[in-house]
Amino acid sequence: MALLEMRGLTKIYDQGKIEVPALRGIDLTVEKGEFTTIFGPSGSGKTTLLNLIGCLDRPTAGTIIFDGQELGGLDKKDLAIIRRHHVGFVFQSYNLIPVLTAYENVEFAIRLVNKYEKKEIRDRVMRILAAVGLAGLENRKPNELSGGQKQRVAIARALVKEPKLVLADEPSANLDSKTSEEVLQVMAKMNRELGTTFIFSTHDPLVMEYARRLIEIRDGQVAKDQRRE
Amino acid sequence: MFLTKLALKNLARHRNRTLITASIIAFAVFFYLLLDSLIGGMTEMSYEMIINYEAGHLQVVTEEYWAEEEKLPLKNLITPEPELMTAVKNVPGYLGSSAELNFQAMVSNGVNELPVIGRGINPPDFAGVINLTDYFVEGEMFRVGERRAFGVSPAVIGKRLADLLKVQPGDYLTLLVKDRHETFNTIEAEITGVIHTGNPLVNEGLVYVPLDVAQEALAVGDRVSKVLMKLENKNRAPGVAKELAEQLQTINPRLAVYSWDQLEAVTVAGAKQMGNRLIMVIILLIAAIAIINTVILAALERMEEIGMMKAMGFQTKEVIYTFVLESTGIGVLGGILGVLLGLAGVGVFTVVGLDFSGIIDMAPYGIPVVGKIYGVWNPLSFVTVFAFGVIVSLFSSILPAYWAADKDPIKAIYPK
Ligand SMILES: Nc1ncnc2c1ncn2[C@@H]1O[C@H](COP(=O)(O)OP(=O)(O)OP(=O)(O)O)[C@@H](O)[C@H]1O
Ligand SMILES: [Mg+2]
Repeated sequence: MALLEMRGLTKIYDQGKIEVPALRGIDLTVEKGEFTTIFGPSGSGKTTLLNLIGCLDRPTAGTIIFDGQELGGLDKKDLAIIRRHHVGFVFQSYNLIPVLTAYENVEFAIRLVNKYEKKEIRDRVMRILAAVGLAGLENRKPNELSGGQKQRVAIARALVKEPKLVLADEPSANLDSKTSEEVLQVMAKMNRELGTTFIFSTHDPLVMEYARRLIEIRDGQVAKDQRRE
Repeated sequence: MFLTKLALKNLARHRNRTLITASIIAFAVFFYLLLDSLIGGMTEMSYEMIINYEAGHLQVVTEEYWAEEEKLPLKNLITPEPELMTAVKNVPGYLGSSAELNFQAMVSNGVNELPVIGRGINPPDFAGVINLTDYFVEGEMFRVGERRAFGVSPAVIGKRLADLLKVQPGDYLTLLVKDRHETFNTIEAEITGVIHTGNPLVNEGLVYVPLDVAQEALAVGDRVSKVLMKLENKNRAPGVAKELAEQLQTINPRLAVYSWDQLEAVTVAGAKQMGNRLIMVIILLIAAIAIINTVILAALERMEEIGMMKAMGFQTKEVIYTFVLESTGIGVLGGILGVLLGLAGVGVFTVVGLDFSGIIDMAPYGIPVVGKIYGVWNPLSFVTVFAFGVIVSLFSSILPAYWAADKDPIKAIYPK
């Protein structure tokens, strides 16, 4: 069974009198374990699509089936519960909590799902931090970390609760190209090792190279959908 | 819990803002405690004034007289018969009793006239309840049966009244009264003493004359308005009043016994406590505004963080919880600080005292106070103002926290 099935997905933003059509009929299927990028020009609808997939927003028309569940009938609270347990987010501007250490920033995401023992929490947090290459930096606060390191914390935070899906909207936009590649390598590695499905958007051709499926969006429609090995 | 830890860390995050808001609350708490102590001191003092210079601890009086006492009627008087006085003298903790006859009068120095309260007293009995010896600034109290030349009555008046009438001991006064039959009569009196007490009402509006002189001028026979009593311990007065009232029923069923805490003037002092509540409300409002302001500032700063938390699946109420806890923490901090300041401030205030006599005249406000006011300790106020400070901090943060936490995660993450 596919992880995601989108049919006729449409999103129109109501801006007072003007209606802005951001997505116009997207049909897509994403299988479990895919490592997919969504790219396209600015304003093409990438963020809008990721928000819909991530249960942060609801479509104007069309359906999304997330792991067998139709999202259409769910209210805000139900969507929050799905996000809590099954979706990890990586943001362009990291959005770490500045008063917490790297360890605590990851820890609080795993505590949110409330399914592990105390001892296991510590093991998991340490393991995931080591896996993204942050061993030894656990006790640093965000302002004591570089941009790339912060984004690794964010990836660890998204992954630690073992979600079904990780969404990353332009995760490397604030990073230089070398760091961008490192961050993408980490994401690809986690995808291989944990089998977590990743969908990320980007403008950067260098970053796209890491994807195994490339979906191009133009004017709110799928312009190209290409897989490679 | 993790959210609790986060809230506490957030408290330390903006140390200055936390401290400023906590200081505002601390100051409000401190200010309230000082004011409360001052009002307590005033109330205590006005109780003492009334007890010491006017009312004693207990009053034996008919119910009808008590009901219209402010008119100083010459009806519903009592006769201090031996049975009654024996019962009075046998109450536990008895110190003294004094029968007095109060009446309305116009006092005149031959030029000016002023309305006053006339009070017929029997000096030795009177001294057993109300001690004025230290308050004579000129002359002294008249003696039993004393008459001046030509059968003129002696009289004692307050300092302020003496000043108003420009009289001193040795000068003459005329008291114009209406007797029991509504017939005008006069009491010719020579001033033997001038007193200056802590009670403005006594200073300004009272003329003491011998009880028998008053009884004769008013044609009331041997009757009096009431019998004042003094006990060893004022706090036992209400209990004693009840017991004595029961005993007196057999002598005269119209007799009643009232203790000092039932006096109208004391109830007025109690009303001052209401003013106290109002000040409390104003102060807590200040605390609430400080907290609301702080929560809004913090929320605006942490918008992206809130958005992230909500995107990760935090529920609105969980985000609210962190803010509310943070504000409550500020409230606790401010409360502790304020209570500590209050302990110091009230401590100083109880020892040093404030001299209000030169600043404002309190008599028009019904607070009979002259001289220094000392603060009183009121431990309950410390507890309540602290509790209110914390509770207000908690509740006033809920609405702004809700405003912050209910944001759509998308709008919070991408604030532009
Ligand atoms: N909240 C909104 N209200 C109104 N219009 C919006 C809103 N968000 C996006 N849009 C519009 O929808 C369209 C798609 O925007 P979206 O942000 O999804 O594009 P994008 O591909 O992510 O662009 P970028 O590469 O610049 O991030 C744009 O025309 C944009 O102006
Ligand atoms: Mg975008």
